[in-house]
Amino acid sequence: MKKIRINKLDEEIYYDKLDNGLEVYLFNKESFKSSYVTFTTKYGSVYNEFVPIGSNKMTSFPKGIAHFLEHKVFAVKDGPDPMEFFSRSGAICNAYTTFDNTTYLFYATSNLKENICYLLDYVQDLYLTDESVENEKKIISEEIHMYDDRPAEVLSEKIRLNALNNNPYRDSIIGTTSDINKITKEDLETCYKTFYHPSNMFLVVVGSFDVEEVMTAIKDNQKNKEFDSLDEIKVREIKERDEVYKKEEIINSTTSIPKVAITIKMPIKDIKLSRRELSLYLYILFTSMFDETSSFDEKLKKDNIISNTTYVSTLNTNTHMLISIINETNKDKEFIKRVEDKLKDISISEVDFNRKKKVLISNEIFAFEYAEQINDIILDDLIYTGKVEDNPIEVIEKLNIDILNDIIKKINVNNISKIILKNKK
Amino acid sequence: MNFETINMGAYNLHFIKTNKFKTITIDVDFYRKIRKEEITKRNLLKMILLDSSKNYKTEKELIIESENLYDIKVSSSISRLGSFSNLSFQTKFLNERYTEKNMNKESIVFFLDLIFNPNIENNAFINIDKQKEKLRQDIISIKDNKPRLAHLKLMEKYKNREYVYNTFGYIDDLDDIDGKNLYEYYKEVLDKDQIDIFVLGDFSSSEMRDIFREYFKVNTFKKDNKKLLVKELDIRKRIVRYHEYDDVNQDQVLLLLSLNNLNDFERKYTIKVLNEILGGSSNSILFSRVREDKGYCYYVNSSVKAYDNTMIINSGVESKNTEKCIKLIRKILKEVKEGKIDDKVIKSSINTIVSGINASFDNPIGIINTYFSKVLVGTEDAEERIKAFRSITKEDIIRVSKKINLNSILTLEKGANNEENKD
Repeated sequence: MKKIRINKLDEEIYYDKLDNGLEVYLFNKESFKSSYVTFTTKYGSVYNEFVPIGSNKMTSFPKGIAHFLEHKVFAVKDGPDPMEFFSRSGAICNAYTTFDNTTYLFYATSNLKENICYLLDYVQDLYLTDESVENEKKIISEEIHMYDDRPAEVLSEKIRLNALNNNPYRDSIIGTTSDINKITKEDLETCYKTFYHPSNMFLVVVGSFDVEEVMTAIKDNQKNKEFDSLDEIKVREIKERDEVYKKEEIINSTTSIPKVAITIKMPIKDIKLSRRELSLYLYILFTSMFDETSSFDEKLKKDNIISNTTYVSTLNTNTHMLISIINETNKDKEFIKRVEDKLKDISISEVDFNRKKKVLISNEIFAFEYAEQINDIILDDLIYTGKVEDNPIEVIEKLNIDILNDIIKKINVNNISKIILKNKK
Repeated sequence: MNFETINMGAYNLHFIKTNKFKTITIDVDFYRKIRKEEITKRNLLKMILLDSSKNYKTEKELIIESENLYDIKVSSSISRLGSFSNLSFQTKFLNERYTEKNMNKESIVFFLDLIFNPNIENNAFINIDKQKEKLRQDIISIKDNKPRLAHLKLMEKYKNREYVYNTFGYIDDLDDIDGKNLYEYYKEVLDKDQIDIFVLGDFSSSEMRDIFREYFKVNTFKKDNKKLLVKELDIRKRIVRYHEYDDVNQDQVLLLLSLNNLNDFERKYTIKVLNEILGGSSNSILFSRVREDKGYCYYVNSSVKAYDNTMIINSGVESKNTEKCIKLIRKILKEVKEGKIDDKVIKSSINTIVSGINASFDNPIGIINTYFSKVLVGTEDAEERIKAFRSITKEDIIRVSKKINLNSILTLEKGANNEENKD
């Protein structure tokens, strides 16, 4: 077992890699009353074409399958199902699927070891029947309808559809009704065997516990389980054009106030920065351009163009960065014009740059207060870089405005996609 | 953890001392009996005070200063506690041990200055139009949240109960608000609302008390009133069924139940266990039978407002299953009253609640909420509460289940949104 020290935050993480390839991260803090545990496979909605375990052929699978599988992993053949098992000791379990990963989790205030072992057991055992797969299609299609009734969700789906061409980040995580109707029991089994292999997964435990005891319990749980051997999983390489798919679209939907998104598509292959650094630089740049501290925000509110502060979301799609500038306004045309004007002159002052760095450092300390957030930080590090960042504060301190100015030069503001979501009437 | 209360005359100052967190959290609660005609003003006030102040004339200046203060978090909210409306201001900042000496005081002074030193001229707030517009949008945007819209439609069917009002306020009232009458209302809140303040973290009590004595500028004494229980609904022999229409892809189904004749223990404990069993989690009876067995919906929950004397069951359902779903929920309610409850589910539901009590101590706001309800309704300490929950038997639960009565059912269905629609 190795120890990772998080510098400047006085925190420690214990780490071990088990014989079957599973990586385990333990964060122990005596003052916590509850524990937050996640078990993650590096498998999300974007893994739609890959060479399945035991095969040598690149194979394509229906969209939405990772999320579908997440639902079905909860089914067990005998004994209590996860909802029942965890609730016995008052623990709460859940799961979620993103583009890049599927995570199973629970919060507990007692019976930590038993709950961890059960988490490993139910996720590492898939039980499917044709009937249960069919029944799940009904539940998931209700989940899809639920999102269809949320205009903000509709907008965020459209952003990716119109900015990307054939990058798998284009598609919705949950899939469409017709996608999920194509999913078979066999598809689910193949994806499961390939991606739920321990060498493609990791376990993160944050809470108050005896580190040695918990690590031993995990090792004991894993040592008697058998898995097929797995080399590195080959996934179809993404080839994505730099141009956006659709430059402009007006969508009729049900929304009380029109919603607008302007998305910049930026290739990242020539940017020699870590994923974290790039995202920090873009955070600093775009918050200082559009948030409450910007003259943009002040002016547009004064001119009655917006009443809420503009929101900037960024998505790293491995080939391109999508930077979306989002707001809701009845003056959608005017808002777009103002954003486009602002984008003609992207810049940041030294004062703003340094203040935003201070904000980032403070938030790093704020985050280390909650079990859930600590777990999220570790999980994100592992998904995106494969290791825990042990100098998070220093990474921020080292950010340099000259580098940001170089990034700014690479932003092509002509390569944008605009969406207006309006009411049908 | 160490709790002390200092009676400051015009308000109570509560200290929760703990070294568990790297931050200090402060919650200032102004509360009074809710009145429909005040809701919109209260909401606007909540926004105006955090938008600018005498010292930071614009939102931009104010936020820049908050970022300079190590990104101090400041927020305000309106919530309803039974028959009271609570206007709450909260701040959270890094303990000066992690920043610079004297930052605790500087942070608190910044926070309190927003409440006591507003941007006014000639006894009127200035520049309120921007926030009025924002509130207008918030009110309109409720329509985008279908479960919430359905809830609002259901509440419109009821009268004379404090929970029927839209929590954001009303467009008609918004038009009548100007800088002057809003400032009058602000003075009234400071003078007449009951006030409780909670400070949580690692600090010196005497220093903290001195800071509040100097900077918390309220000095009118108030009569203590903690009657927050809302009058219960009469039991209906015939359940009323409402149909509402909107542009939805999925029907919203709501069932309103009244709680009748609960005693104090049932209100604090037993009803919460019943709610947990019925639809509090994904191990509940509703979840396992309506979603897992039948696949009618993605979500189905029950939630209880013990001090409102109501319980609500809600779900999002494909329209062809709506009637079947309602029928099934009613059947489940009937069976629960007949005692068809699995002992294992009772045990696990109690464990879930106990776990929630324990977990709340990992979160500063969770801790403050616990102490606030101690102040308001005399909630017992965690250990006592856990003991009380553990003592609840199946018979207790069946007894309380007979005190919940279905009152009405509302569905929000696909169709023209006709405001004139009468059931």
